[in-house]
Amino acid sequence: MNNARRTKRRVAVTVLLVVAVFAVFVVRLVDIQVVRADDLNTDSLAKRSIAETTYAARGDIVDTDGNVLAGSVDRFDITAAPNVMNSFTRTGDDGVRTEVTVEQAIAELSEVTGTSVAEITEALTENPEANFAYVTRSVPLETLKKINALAIPWIYPRSNPGRTYPNGAIAGNLVGFLNTDNPGAGVELTENDCLSSTNGSSTYERGSDGIRIPGSTVTAEEAQPGGKLRLTINSDFQWYSQQTLNEDAQALGADWATLMVVRVNDGHLMAVADYPSVDPNNVDGVPTTALGSLAFSTPYEPGSTMKAMTVASLLDAGAISPTERVSVPSLLTLPSGGTIKDAFVHPDVRYTVAGVLTNSSNIGTSLLSEKLNKDARRDYMVKFGLTQRTAVGFNGESPGYVPETKNWDERTNFAVQFGQAEQTTSAQVASIYQTLGNGGVRMPLTLVEGCEWPDGTVTDLPSTEGVRAVSETAADQTVGLMENVVTQGSLSSALSIPGYRVAAKTGTAEVAEGGVYTSDRVVSIAGLVPAENPEYAIVVTFGKPDTIKTSAAVAPTFKKITNQVIKTFRIEPSTTATVKMPLTW
Amino acid sequence: MSSNLAFATPLRSPREEQPHIEIVSTREQRRARPRVVYALVTVAGLFALFIAQLLLSIVVADGAYSISALQSQQRDLGREEKALSEQLDLLASPQNLATQAESLGMLRSSTSPAFLRLSDGAIVGEASAADGSVVVGAAGNLVANELLGGIPLVTPPADAAAVDPAVDPSVAAAAGAPTSPGAIETVPSTPGALPSPVTR
Repeated sequence: MNNARRTKRRVAVTVLLVVAVFAVFVVRLVDIQVVRADDLNTDSLAKRSIAETTYAARGDIVDTDGNVLAGSVDRFDITAAPNVMNSFTRTGDDGVRTEVTVEQAIAELSEVTGTSVAEITEALTENPEANFAYVTRSVPLETLKKINALAIPWIYPRSNPGRTYPNGAIAGNLVGFLNTDNPGAGVELTENDCLSSTNGSSTYERGSDGIRIPGSTVTAEEAQPGGKLRLTINSDFQWYSQQTLNEDAQALGADWATLMVVRVNDGHLMAVADYPSVDPNNVDGVPTTALGSLAFSTPYEPGSTMKAMTVASLLDAGAISPTERVSVPSLLTLPSGGTIKDAFVHPDVRYTVAGVLTNSSNIGTSLLSEKLNKDARRDYMVKFGLTQRTAVGFNGESPGYVPETKNWDERTNFAVQFGQAEQTTSAQVASIYQTLGNGGVRMPLTLVEGCEWPDGTVTDLPSTEGVRAVSETAADQTVGLMENVVTQGSLSSALSIPGYRVAAKTGTAEVAEGGVYTSDRVVSIAGLVPAENPEYAIVVTFGKPDTIKTSAAVAPTFKKITNQVIKTFRIEPSTTATVKMPLTW
Repeated sequence: MSSNLAFATPLRSPREEQPHIEIVSTREQRRARPRVVYALVTVAGLFALFIAQLLLSIVVADGAYSISALQSQQRDLGREEKALSEQLDLLASPQNLATQAESLGMLRSSTSPAFLRLSDGAIVGEASAADGSVVVGAAGNLVANELLGGIPLVTPPADAAAVDPAVDPSVAAAAGAPTSPGAIETVPSTPGALPSPVTR
């Protein structure tokens, strides 16, 4: 009887104890899981789960053969988490464990990255509760390896591709550059839609000691790289053009210079050289005026290279024939009293059209122009591309200026036909000569071949629609007339290339400042090779040279570039003989 | 006459055992009993499975670790390759090639172009000897490349003649023909700069 009661009591006590302990657990459980659940969840997630932006590479800019003009390279941002920044133990190679304090870690970082200790300390202590702070940005792989070797647990390197221009200033005027993260000039700016990458986002989880928990990265959005932009430029030829232009511009003491080579059948630009121009790796190294492309942005009075356009227009309109004869006085007096002079003093002379072009007679050009009304003449200029931007649409491109016919006074009426009283860019002059070489059809001037996306699609293809400016006959006749400049003109020894037929036109334009023509000149030569069936148009211009102020200054450069065009693009020697036309009658 | 009423009963032997009574199992019962072997096999099988699963998961985990290690290695090698490609692109830039060609004594020809047609070996155009103009000229390479500074110039072998002074003495002197011992010339990064010696 007693036994039974004792047993029952023991059982009861045990059960009570068990229930009591159980109750404590239940209360605690309810407290954590129900009462404080939300707070604790948010806290833990904030400490553990970190969101980050992932970066993909910006698209490359390549030349027509695929040489990289602007590329993306691996660079790394070194970030830290100030809220888990603590001293840690490091196990050395010999197995010895040393305690590394935060200050020591900062000193080591400073030594490896080159940023000062003060800067790093300030960045990390600015907001001690923050999850994220930059130690330094954009370090190369070497530095990253050294930082990884330091094994600091609260340092998280992140990939963030950087921009490099391995060919330096080659096509630097065209490619442009980036300002910190945004494009600043050139094709980098205008084709940004093609080139820019899209950032992605991902989250990862981190333990309290700061170590990234492996396998916890969740990518919310993949980062998308940019497309590859292919230019029409040939980079080796562009180097040669820039080197030659720089050498000769410096030798002449010119303020500026441009050089353009265009493929005649499709209007693709082979080279566009500017002096001075920029190395995108070192944007601060040149004055701000040199950051763009003068060939597109800066109009000037082009001078006698426009006479070829005038002659082609008159031939097309039927106003003159290729063997037209004209008596050129030594001075042309206008009814209002103004005069038009030629570049050199001469008595009255009887020139043919070939003679007018070869001797670059302003008076002769004016007399020929009288045979066509001014509206028709200006229409031809518009068809040749003047007063409009070229199809390139370069950053900061200028459309030039030709006054409306209603504003032409007697002098302007003639002056626009020999390249004064109007403004063109080098690109427009190149386009005119491309038209003349292409049987009178002006093709859209093209710099961008296309934007190649990673999935293989190609966008931004250039237009192939031409505009007919003059008939094929008129264009071919004009090129034939221009050949006489090279074979019989005053610069023929400087311009002739044995075995090849070359057509060219010189230009020595007066420069106006403050409404008055000064003694400065813009000298240029524009030409086509090979003359019997033109493949390339070449325009070389020097602005305000000091040593030689006639187009004779340009001849050596023109010849060197034409030689190089022949070599680079494998132009075969001419099989037909030049036709020398009579210059006088 | 005795009147003893007690009488002796026969003694039992003390060692006389109690009859040992045992229930003997019948043959049917014996047959019905499970054999020990089966139990041993089952338990051993269970253990074997258990251990096999343990070993497999160890191997899988090990494989996962080596995958992770190899992926890291691949990523690191990929980065090395990109860093080396970066350097290669730089060395392939025309500025570097032109300056190095000059340093090796190569000449640029400004004479009229001539071609060798490989199909029939004919020479097309007027062939003439190189006129000795230098590749980058007295002013040096004028097309800047900021990234190039510090790349040493290739020098021709010691027994080959340096740039012939008779051809263009100003160039030979100005370009710093690499004959000074101990000074390694480097490709200039700024235009017009003469090749500069590496300072230590």
